[in-house]
Amino acid sequence: MTLANDSFLFVSDLVRRRSAIQLEAGKEYLVESRLLPLARTAGAADVDAYVRSLRAAPSPAALEAVVEALTTNETSWFRDAQPFQALTGHVVPSLLEGGLPGFAPSLRVWSAACSSGQEPYSIAMALADVVPPQSLRITATDLNEKMLTRGRQGRYSQLEVNRGLPAPMLVKHFVRVGADWEIAPQLKQAVTFQRHNLLDAPPSGGPFDVVFLRNVLIYFDIATKRDVLRKVQGVLRPGGYLLLGAAETTIGVDEGWERVPVGRGSVYRRTARRAA
Amino acid sequence: MSMDIDLAAFAGTDPIYVITEEVFTAMIDGEEGYLRHWDGPDPVFVDPMHAWVDVNGTTSGRVLLTTERGTADKLARALLQMTPDEPVSPEDFVDALGEVANVVGGNVKSLVPEPGVLTLPQVTQDRPPTLPDALIYELALDWRGSALVISLWKLP
Amino acid sequence: MRALVIDDSRTMRRIVSGVLGSMGFETVEAGDGRQALDVLESGTEIDLACIDWNMPVMNGLEFVTSVRQNREWRDMTLMMVTTESEQGQIVRALAAGAHEYLIKPFTPDAVRDKLQLLGLVDLEESA
Repeated sequence: MTLANDSFLFVSDLVRRRSAIQLEAGKEYLVESRLLPLARTAGAADVDAYVRSLRAAPSPAALEAVVEALTTNETSWFRDAQPFQALTGHVVPSLLEGGLPGFAPSLRVWSAACSSGQEPYSIAMALADVVPPQSLRITATDLNEKMLTRGRQGRYSQLEVNRGLPAPMLVKHFVRVGADWEIAPQLKQAVTFQRHNLLDAPPSGGPFDVVFLRNVLIYFDIATKRDVLRKVQGVLRPGGYLLLGAAETTIGVDEGWERVPVGRGSVYRRTARRAA
Repeated sequence: MSMDIDLAAFAGTDPIYVITEEVFTAMIDGEEGYLRHWDGPDPVFVDPMHAWVDVNGTTSGRVLLTTERGTADKLARALLQMTPDEPVSPEDFVDALGEVANVVGGNVKSLVPEPGVLTLPQVTQDRPPTLPDALIYELALDWRGSALVISLWKLP
Repeated sequence: MRALVIDDSRTMRRIVSGVLGSMGFETVEAGDGRQALDVLESGTEIDLACIDWNMPVMNGLEFVTSVRQNREWRDMTLMMVTTESEQGQIVRALAAGAHEYLIKPFTPDAVRDKLQLLGLVDLEESA
């Protein structure tokens, strides 16, 4: 069953507009395979019929599902390496000696826009040798319910665990389940997944000692960036740390942050006093 | 290798399908989406190629890949990243097919708790001999429109 | 930088050499652990060895053990590239002295990730 050309063009145009990914001619078979499960769920006779029905009555959710099915989300563990080195090498020691109440009862970290969970679990693994697991509370948030479910399950394919995860961490923190690998219970306990929109009031689980807000602000305009950063400040302890993506900064966006160079990058410390 | 892979224990997802999909995604197609379950009556091969590895342990099993010769050629080319007009030597063809069986078989071996030893892969046009009741599992797949069958056999 | 690709499958040697080559490595191949040791003993400088487990004559685990017993080769990075993916096997390989472990099947990106972890490829070079 081959996809009609106009259906293929509709889909490739949609995907290109939403994700900049190009589906050139020759990828019809790929598009069909990826959309087959969606077509089946919708009760369509085949993918072509499904796409036609979608064009006739496009719903945002259905369009989003199509784009998601065709764009691979390549998340890796310990992404960019530097923030995790900064976390154990600078942030945590600094929090300990900085005269803050210490980790009694726990070190609280917020991993915002956590996707399928690689970031919060990477944080947990990085901290596992530095903070006792019962003293670690990681709040992981995302807008996407499917991602949250994946995160809670903590089960990853062999291809996913090959991406940036040091082998010693794999054997220490995962157990095999069939062809997959699942985060060990002790580590899973340290992470709570919560649905949350950054534009809303901050999630529960704070006040936080560290916030990971990486590669998310880039999607917002400057006013929204400032708004989000202010909300983050509101749930971050004075002297607590914010970790952004490699190309991001608070400079020129929001007051109340002190940039601290660490290794090749920076971390941002919430200053006790806010500028007026 | 104990052939008692309790497939039902893996929460509804067939781990052998998952393994095969990962092999194809990572090393043959470069991306997901070209492999699916075979839809329709069981495929019949006119000019088949067979590639398999054995796992020897407490009990022994065979992981067998069967496909049409033409499909096997395309598989080998994809793995070797060769274009349709580049010549594939018989040695390269056998080695590439054998490697597909090796990677699939090796991962199937990892599904069972008992330790086992993988044999070197074999590639033939004749179906390898097996006992009548030895078939434990069979998976018919569709790769870019062509049929491919993965089967698991108990060995004496 | 030079890598030694050790696997009894010519196909796999080709694939691994190809991926490493695209990252700027010069590659040398060997079909088993014994051949690989011959390469090292002949004085060829190797920075990274990518090692299959199951090979005739001398397998990957035996090769790793041999290398780690020789102080002359102590700066060589050793990465297993194998289908052996049971937890116990990975632990054995790391205990024997392998620095990293890549499970087959793997993507070129996965190789790059591992090499970044090992400090053999710069982070800035990633696409």
